[in-house]
Amino acid sequence: MADPSPASSSSEDYALDGNALAGLLEEVFAAEITTALRVCQSCGTQSAIGAHRAYRGAGVVLRCPVCRDLAMRIAELRGHTRVWLAGEWSFETPDR
Amino acid sequence: MAPISRGFRGRPRREVDPARVPPGQYVVNDFPVLSAGPTPHTPTDQWSLQIGGAVAAPVSWTWEQFRALATETFTVDIHCVTKWSKLGTSWTGVSLDTLLAGVETDAGYFTAWCDGGYTTNLALADVTGGQGWVVYEFDGAPLEAEHGGPARLLVPHLYFWKSAKWLRGLTLTPEDQPGFWEAAGYNNHGDPWKEQRYWGD
Amino acid sequence: MGGLSGEPTLLAEQAAGEPSSASASASAPLVHVPSRWHSAGVREVRDETAHAKTIVLDDPAWPGHFAGQHVDVRLTAEDGYQAQRSYSIASAPEEPLALTVERIDDGEVSPYLTEELRAGDELELRGPVGGHFTWRTADGGPLLLLAGGSGLVPLMAMTRHRIARADATRIELLVSSRSLDDLLFAEELKRAGAQPGIDVKITLTRAQPPGWSGLARRVDRAMLAELGPPPSERPRVFLCGPTAFVESAADALVALGHAPSAIHAERFGPSGG
Repeated sequence: MADPSPASSSSEDYALDGNALAGLLEEVFAAEITTALRVCQSCGTQSAIGAHRAYRGAGVVLRCPVCRDLAMRIAELRGHTRVWLAGEWSFETPDR
Repeated sequence: MAPISRGFRGRPRREVDPARVPPGQYVVNDFPVLSAGPTPHTPTDQWSLQIGGAVAAPVSWTWEQFRALATETFTVDIHCVTKWSKLGTSWTGVSLDTLLAGVETDAGYFTAWCDGGYTTNLALADVTGGQGWVVYEFDGAPLEAEHGGPARLLVPHLYFWKSAKWLRGLTLTPEDQPGFWEAAGYNNHGDPWKEQRYWGD
Repeated sequence: MGGLSGEPTLLAEQAAGEPSSASASASAPLVHVPSRWHSAGVREVRDETAHAKTIVLDDPAWPGHFAGQHVDVRLTAEDGYQAQRSYSIASAPEEPLALTVERIDDGEVSPYLTEELRAGDELELRGPVGGHFTWRTADGGPLLLLAGGSGLVPLMAMTRHRIARADATRIELLVSSRSLDDLLFAEELKRAGAQPGIDVKITLTRAQPPGWSGLARRVDRAMLAELGPPPSERPRVFLCGPTAFVESAADALVALGHAPSAIHAERFGPSGG
């Protein structure tokens, strides 16, 4: 989904799209979830997981592409990965 | 272990004293930018640093007041849980000893909170006695926003996720309260020399 | 989406013996086969430009892929140090698996892949992944594809797929490159642009050869307004390249009236990959 706020561009140089995490997420969910649609608890926008913004800190963070609200925290630990889903999650698979 | 990639060596690494490199770390020459969210850009005229929570009286400084405090320039090695270490980094800032000097508290811990919503938790014992600073310059120049400017916490003896960027305050707490990464699987203490990366380490 | 319920998929059946495209059936679900790290053999490494190479792989476990997907590549040094990056698949599903990698000057993985890796080596990878940034002919169009530098790679896979299927989907492909020497797949782009229903435009932002009559500036709103297809035709839009390129193009497209939900973006990050 396009980011409708051009002013944020300069602060977003280090963000990637959730789609870049597809391999990592597939290891966790044993499924390709980048096309699944999540409704943001904060702003109500529905966006594909692959369109969420991904940030790399100690672990990985996924945020709503419109309001940057926290959606997911991913910690790649020794030999396994732990995922924390923030807030209430709804998840809808697309028609194809 | 994963198969070796023939001929792959990674970036060229200078010879360094192995005693300066914690277990599992690799020394880098650049300064990777890691973040849990978009880079905030807080103008210094809208900035303040607050110490509050379990204290007799909260204190706060404007940017001018903060910059008027006694500062130090010093060089330390830093270690990121994502396995890179950067040796000999030079910073200028105010010691936590100075900032906490006027603060009366029985609390043993604090949560550092930041623009953008990041938090991390530390014991006072880990940041006092010359172990922690709030820094505003790196390598002699004002700290860039992507590296945490206007000011960040610096606690080099722990993994660098504890050196919270875009610091705005410390909330003292009687009990240790896991911050952003500590709640998500990362070690509550984070000593690189004991390789305390994750829960249970 | 069959993947989430874990049911066996069309693609898995095809992996058993059919080398042909996974999109044989117009109603096939977006399939997946959970991919673990595994080694593929390097069949060939060939030059594309002075800074880019195409790596053709032999992966007996390869389940097939969709145009636009990528693989994660992991390198391990003898001391255990590991570096991992993602690379878009350059090949259409109908072609032998290939990645095209551009060397980033102070990069860590791309210099290895473009200067050291050779036929006979093994490459550890995970994939194909990235269902959000895919296009199959069955999805229809028209397509508006915007590429910044090596962002052309997944969009080329989509274009190659369309041509391989002799499909009639209309494609507008705009490629932004620093110079003609940096332009990936230059000859192939010329041939693609000559196909009915495919229009290719190149803009060279830093240096143009003598006599260049094409576009010679950064992608901007006016260029996008002129390029089409217009929002009224509801094109599917795929943008790929450095973050700044993708963000400014996305903003311009939304300002022109394209629906945000029709725009799929793949940002490479500040360094461009």
